[in-house]
Amino acid sequence: MAVNGTHVQPEHAQLACGRDAAVAWDAAVAGRRDAHQRACPHCQAVAEDQRLLASAVAELHEEALEPPASLVEQVMGAVFAEIRPAGYLPLPTRHGRARIDRVAAAGVLRHAVDRMPAVRVRSCQIHLVDPPGPDDATQGTPPVRVRISVTARFGLDLISATARVRQMILAAAADLLGLSVTAIDIDVVDVHDDPSWAPAGADAPS
Amino acid sequence: MGAGTPAAVDFAVGTFDDLTLVVRAQEGDVRAFEALVRRYQRRFYRLAVRLLGNSSDAEEAVQDAFLSAWRRLPGFRGEAAFSSWMYRIVTNRCLLLLRKRRPVTTLDELRDQPGPESASPEHAAETRDRAVALQRALLDLPTDQRACWILRELHGLGYEDIATIVAASPDAVRGRLHRARRTLAEVMAPWR
Repeated sequence: MAVNGTHVQPEHAQLACGRDAAVAWDAAVAGRRDAHQRACPHCQAVAEDQRLLASAVAELHEEALEPPASLVEQVMGAVFAEIRPAGYLPLPTRHGRARIDRVAAAGVLRHAVDRMPAVRVRSCQIHLVDPPGPDDATQGTPPVRVRISVTARFGLDLISATARVRQMILAAAADLLGLSVTAIDIDVVDVHDDPSWAPAGADAPS
Repeated sequence: MGAGTPAAVDFAVGTFDDLTLVVRAQEGDVRAFEALVRRYQRRFYRLAVRLLGNSSDAEEAVQDAFLSAWRRLPGFRGEAAFSSWMYRIVTNRCLLLLRKRRPVTTLDELRDQPGPESASPEHAAETRDRAVALQRALLDLPTDQRACWILRELHGLGYEDIATIVAASPDAVRGRLHRARRTLAEVMAPWR
């Protein structure tokens, strides 16, 4: 730095000329210095510092710093170790009590809807309509209500898409969980782009 | 492999937007959280290496930060983006580690890593040495200045975002950046 006393206040980035040092720096980065910044020795000194550091900063940027391959595994191992049941849903049985973790059951429904290419499940929750009493283990299928929110691919026919979501949930709840769904609330909360999707009949890239 | 197979579904989840993954993770979907970890591990590992100066501390800090994020997800209301929230957690975790220990500035491992392609071995060595000199100078900065400089220069964050992450005013962030830049420029002057 060629000029001494460039900054005058310890907590602020004000140069001796009154300009904000961060503004002078950003102008130098963008190559858009105004007449003052080109003439002022304090602003010029900031620009000089910026030029000096730019290439070394670019080199730090390009440095290959890759996380170890085990990082995800380590994190997820710790996460799995902390998972606790979030409550259970009773399952129909003739031979005693059976139940399924509420999160796992929601995961089954979520997974069924995730198979639809144009819909992404955001939230999926299962609620018992009438929680069974302690003697109800051998009674019929417990009725549940499903609340699900999804995002849909931009341009998707939402009426038929939500009908299909309903169908997938009913089938998965009955066939995979043995739950009787009495109501399904579906919220389409957002639309998303899907660059990998091409409409039928679109030209394939050559 | 068809679009509806389990492997294809798992792959597709990795392409979902952050908010969708966060909501799913909040509801206990660990695969959604794993997708977030995979998406952001590189960015935050690089941040931690620059802040802490060595890879083993960085790995520990990033692991701790992701685990802390998992535990705190139920309280995450989405006022800020997930990435901004994670920046705060990772930076604070690193600053905590720096306060607890003397920094171990083992730059040899950074020196051993491959650098960018260059025209000649001499130029490559010079480029490498310049990057190492800057990293060394960075580790000599006070931690508050170092954090602001890394978040701005290497991660491209705005002053307001940095102020939120380091719990300081935007003016204070600008002041720290100015002092960090001056110090680094003085140290790097021989490379002019």
